[in-house]
Amino acid sequence: MNAVLSARQITKRFPGVTALRDVSFDLRPGEIHALCGENGAGKSTLIKLLSGLHPHGSYEGELQVGDEIARFASISDAERAGIAVIYQELALVEQLSVAENIFLGAEPTRFGLIDWPRVHREAGALLKQFGVQIDPDADCSRLGVGEKQLVEIVKALRKNSRILILDEPTAALAEHEVQILLGILRELRHRGIACIYISHRLEEVFALADRITVLRDGASVASFATPETSPSEVIRHMVGREIQELFPRRSRSRSADAPPPSLRVQGLSVADRHSRRLRLHEISFAVAPGEVLGIGGLMGAGRTELLSHLFGAWGERRAGRVELMGRELPPLSPAEVLRRGLVLVSEDRRRYGLVLEQSVGFNLSLSSLSGLTRAGLIDARREFEQNQRSFQSLRVKAPGLDSPAGKLSGGNQQKVVLGKALMTEPRVIFLDEPTRGIDVGAKQEIYELINQLTDAGQAVVLVSSELPELIGMSDRILMLHEGRIGGEFTRAEATPERLLQAAMGTTEPIAA
Amino acid sequence: MSSRFSLRDFSLLLALLAIAGFFAVQVPGGQFLSARNLSLLIIDFSITATLAIGMLLVILPGHIDLSVGSGVGLIGGIGAVLVTHQDWPAPLALLAGIAVALLLWFGMGTLIVRQRIPAFIITLGGLLVFKGLFWLVINNQTVPVVTGGRANLFSSLTTYYLPHVAGYVLAAIVVLALIFFRLKRRAQRSAQGMAADDAELTFLQLFLAAQVAFFFVLLMNQFRGVPLPFLILGAVAGVVWVLTRHTPWGRYLYAIGGNEEAALISGIPIARVTVGAFTGLGVIVALTGFMQTAYGGASTTTVGDLMELDAVAACVIGGVSLKGGRGGVLGVLFGALIMACLLNGMTLLAVQPEQKFIARGLVLILAVWMDMRLNRTALSH
Repeated sequence: MNAVLSARQITKRFPGVTALRDVSFDLRPGEIHALCGENGAGKSTLIKLLSGLHPHGSYEGELQVGDEIARFASISDAERAGIAVIYQELALVEQLSVAENIFLGAEPTRFGLIDWPRVHREAGALLKQFGVQIDPDADCSRLGVGEKQLVEIVKALRKNSRILILDEPTAALAEHEVQILLGILRELRHRGIACIYISHRLEEVFALADRITVLRDGASVASFATPETSPSEVIRHMVGREIQELFPRRSRSRSADAPPPSLRVQGLSVADRHSRRLRLHEISFAVAPGEVLGIGGLMGAGRTELLSHLFGAWGERRAGRVELMGRELPPLSPAEVLRRGLVLVSEDRRRYGLVLEQSVGFNLSLSSLSGLTRAGLIDARREFEQNQRSFQSLRVKAPGLDSPAGKLSGGNQQKVVLGKALMTEPRVIFLDEPTRGIDVGAKQEIYELINQLTDAGQAVVLVSSELPELIGMSDRILMLHEGRIGGEFTRAEATPERLLQAAMGTTEPIAA
Repeated sequence: MSSRFSLRDFSLLLALLAIAGFFAVQVPGGQFLSARNLSLLIIDFSITATLAIGMLLVILPGHIDLSVGSGVGLIGGIGAVLVTHQDWPAPLALLAGIAVALLLWFGMGTLIVRQRIPAFIITLGGLLVFKGLFWLVINNQTVPVVTGGRANLFSSLTTYYLPHVAGYVLAAIVVLALIFFRLKRRAQRSAQGMAADDAELTFLQLFLAAQVAFFFVLLMNQFRGVPLPFLILGAVAGVVWVLTRHTPWGRYLYAIGGNEEAALISGIPIARVTVGAFTGLGVIVALTGFMQTAYGGASTTTVGDLMELDAVAACVIGGVSLKGGRGGVLGVLFGALIMACLLNGMTLLAVQPEQKFIARGLVLILAVWMDMRLNRTALSH
């Protein structure tokens, strides 16, 4: 069978590094081909090449689409050849409606004016055709990440793309949205659309892909038909070493008399400041020192809102009481909450975590500067020593503390955000999707770090969309469903099925 | 925040040399490089740069202030009226002016931060309000800064020159301080295991700095000596440099301008920091107002006109990003020097006011355009 897209002996050099080394890769019609590899393995570079972002002539080797040699000078060349990329960072215009976005740049016109009825009709038809339940008139800013992604895919298909490239499409999705996405991709496969699928989540890869190619350090190290391999084999090729246990949560020996909780929340109800609608209803929970409380739920269940509110960054408290280290915590500003020993590591590290154009050191010490001053001035030596300790203990891979934070890979950026949070010496740490979009090795390090924190008596609240991670790393798990507690589980009770049921609100809440 | 010189600093230096060279050749009789003119140029520069450094404080966290020109007129006018019409002692009048500026800018900062009104709008309103208040205060008249022809602290601001010897002593102190800090930095860098600055290069830089300092004093002494506004600028620049580079507050300014949401989540008290920046700017506006008014000898309705644009232009030319989060005192000083040279040179060439307006506008646009371009290349990296 002829490949719809093939890359032959591609080598791509950047000043100082060779990002791709003699990589060959082919995509057959109607197949889903997964690309696996740690961050920095060369996946993104390969995609940029295929999508015309790195133009012909900037690399060695040859691309072929169908029977023709492809020499893309730009993204639009690649689009004309039928290649569409759905990027990790979504490219929708937030202020426009779903329909307007789908037809952006290709609005059908009548007599020189945009034919709006046709835009809405056809957008609606397209959405329906792919089983996407989104109102074409809705503003994109109101959609969740998962829905936006589906709109992007529909937008790509509207352009009659034959080859779809998805870069970490499920990184931001909740479990049921992942299922919708996978369903749609399978449907597209039936229609003969070929797909390159990049994901860190191996369950999905194995559930979906026909073939798997593993990249490591810029080279393609292995290629399998999915039935002939196993997740552990793929991981072995990705990291070049065997990973014994994916979730190294250490079981703690609980002392007989439980310590008083670090954080206690009772009957918390919170409304959105803009819509004035209640988004969190009567939430109660407690976290003890040394404990990891996992919080799961579908997209929009209120997980991020819950953390943000407790941290002082979101919402209007309507009812409830919060105690931090035995002391009442009224609604305060994040600065004040942080001073009292609670810190938040946001799910969106580029947006809420880092000042990207500043250095790693600048970012690391940003939250703890007030403790590093002498006579009002920053004590440069103490700041450096503290940064250096954090830099080394977190094993941040960067040339040094001077490197701009924006140039680091996702995993290393996440480590810097974590380092910044930990330098405030918090008692309670909120981690919102701490491993989203980062590679296997860095994930392991972050899990290990969580263990160290709890060993030191700190309390961790872990929000995650990945059920295995939630089950693997939490001592107890709280599932949210539409702003309410849908169920609470001990680690022993938690199974993916039970958690998902609680998240979807199909069972009665189990009393804590 | 690297303190090493980048290509951009060199391009600034080249631009400065080109502009100065152009005027040196074009202005008849070598007037541009005469000791008298250079002394005037330094006073112009000191006033522009002081205001621009104040502007830096609010541009760093991503705001802007269009009202500073009117503010300069208003505060200078208040001082002049208090001294001349109310017979206040000059120091008291200046303090009163500073207090008013402090309150006004604290108020604007609070409105901008707490009510989330864009600084552009608030300060545009401020521009008009202050202008009106200014004219009310001086009653549309010319109010001299001295009474009875006796010099006072206010009028001396731009007429006092350091005695020649004191100028040299000051240069020596500055050079010694530079050497001290430089050596300390070297020691620190090597203690941190970072590549220490090259010893020869360090020596060369210090040697050059010392030469520039002494040559500068020599040049100023050819006329009357180092002018007081230059010392005021030195003090303001020094304080702001320390604040922006060595205090948490200064770091926060960069963090807020670089990524406000991340700054909030990092526990930075954004409102307090930003209001502080505006309040600091207010104090600097007052200082600039006194100097600018004293420079003209009296408060008249046009004092301070368009100074906000020169201040913004100086910042942008000096590498301060209008988006916030990037830039520093040194660059602003360079930018202000370029602006001062342009204005001074054009005056000497007897360029018509119409053309001067156009030139100033074009320089501002050019500087912002370059800023945008640089931002874009930085992003597409």
